[in-house]
Amino acid sequence: MTLTLILFFGFVAILLLGLGWALWEPREQRKLQADPRSLEEHGQRHVTYLPQIRQALAKTDYEFLSKRASREVQRGVRHARRRVALAYLAALRGDFQSLLRMAKVIATLSPEVAAVHEFERLRLTAKFAWQYEMIRWQLSAGFATVPQLDGLSDLVSGLSVRMEAAMKELGERAAAAAELASSINRRGLDVA
Amino acid sequence: MMWTVNTATGVLVLVLLLVRKNYRAYPAFTFYILVNLAQAILLFIAYRRWGFSSLSSWLFAWGTQIVVACARALAVVEVGGHFLSRYPGIWALARRLLLGCAGLVLLYSGLAGRHQWKLALPSADRGLELSIATVVVLIFLFARYYDVRIERTDRSLAIGLCLYSCFRALNDTIADRFLHGYATLWSLLGMLAFFASLCLWSWALWKSRTETATEENLLPLDVYQSFTPQINLRLRSLNDQLYKIWKPEVPRQ
Repeated sequence: MTLTLILFFGFVAILLLGLGWALWEPREQRKLQADPRSLEEHGQRHVTYLPQIRQALAKTDYEFLSKRASREVQRGVRHARRRVALAYLAALRGDFQSLLRMAKVIATLSPEVAAVHEFERLRLTAKFAWQYEMIRWQLSAGFATVPQLDGLSDLVSGLSVRMEAAMKELGERAAAAAELASSINRRGLDVA
Repeated sequence: MMWTVNTATGVLVLVLLLVRKNYRAYPAFTFYILVNLAQAILLFIAYRRWGFSSLSSWLFAWGTQIVVACARALAVVEVGGHFLSRYPGIWALARRLLLGCAGLVLLYSGLAGRHQWKLALPSADRGLELSIATVVVLIFLFARYYDVRIERTDRSLAIGLCLYSCFRALNDTIADRFLHGYATLWSLLGMLAFFASLCLWSWALWKSRTETATEENLLPLDVYQSFTPQINLRLRSLNDQLYKIWKPEVPRQ
C-alpha cells in the first residue's frame, strides 16, 4: 500500500467514525433536561451539599482520624471520601453541561453568532472534558489534592447564579423569553 | 443486470419524489436523481456505440460523472440547508466553515493525487466526493453540537449521500492504483453501493415530508452579544480552576 492509499483510506475512516459518532445518541443524553428551570435545580443541588462535601474533604478531619482510628478505618474513610469527591466532580460536570447547553440554545436562537466566541467555547469544552477526565483518573488513583474542589464549586455556583440572572433578564423580555421556551419545547430538547 | 436494477430503483425514487410531492422540499435532490438517470441512459448508448473500453466512452463517462457529482454537491447543500437554515446564526457560521473545509479537502485531494492527465478526471471526482462526504459529516456534527433536531427524511438522504460519496472516493483511489485490472469490479461495486443508497432514499421518501420549515422565533441580537462573552469567561475560569486541581504545583499565568 502506498502512502496515498493509506492517506485516503485513513481520511474516509475518520469521516465514517465522525458520522457514526454524530448519529449515535447515548441513552443518558436523551433523558437530559434542557428546561431552563433545570439550571436552577442543578445549581442548588451541589450548593446544598457543599458543607457536607467540605466536611468530608477537610484535612483536619482526616488528621483527627489518623490519630484515633485504625488503619483499616482510615483506608475505608479515604475510600469513601474519594467516592464523595468523584460524585461531587460528576455533579460539577453536570452543572457545567447544563450551563453549556443554555449557551448553545442562546447561540442557536440568535440571528448572528460570532465565530470567535463559538470556537472559544468549543475549545473550552474540549479542555474541560480532558481536564475532568484527568482529575477523575487522579482522584480514582488517589493522587489528587481534593480540598481544592472547594474553589471549583464556588466558581460553578457563581456561573449558575450568573446564568440565573441571564435567564431572568431574558424573562423580562416577555415576548422573546416566551418564544425561547416554546422553541426549546418545539425542538424536542425537553424530553424528560 | 445491476444496471437495470439501479435504473429501475432510480425511477422509483423519482416517482416517489413526484407522487409524494417531495420535489417541492427537495428540488436539488430531484434534479440530482434526474441527472443520474439521464447519465445511466446516456452511458448505455455510449457503451453500445463506442464499446466499454474505448477512450471516447471513458472520457464521456468521466465527463458526465463530474456533472453528476456537482448535482450531488447541490443536493447536499440543500439537505444541509434543511438541517440548519432555520437557525440563521449558526447556519451562517456553518456555511463559512463548510466552504473552508470543502476547499481544503479539494486541495488535499489534488495534492495527494498523482499528476497524470489520464488520472485528472478520477482525481477531480475523488476530491469532489471527499468534499461532499466531509460536508455531510460536518453538518451532522454541527447539528449534534447544537442539539438541532433533524427530520427523518433529511437524515436518511444525507446518510445515503455521505456513504455513497465515501465509497466513490475509496473506489477512485483504488482505481487510481489498479486502473486496468479493477475496471469490472469497480463498476459492480459502484453500482451495488449506489443501489444501497437508492434503497435508503426510497425508504426515506416513502412518506411525504409533511413538516414545513417553520421559522424559529429568534432572540434579539444583543442577548447573544451580552451573554456569550460572559459565559465564555466563566468557562475559561472554570478551566483554570480545573487546571489548578490537575497540576496544583505549576503556577499559571
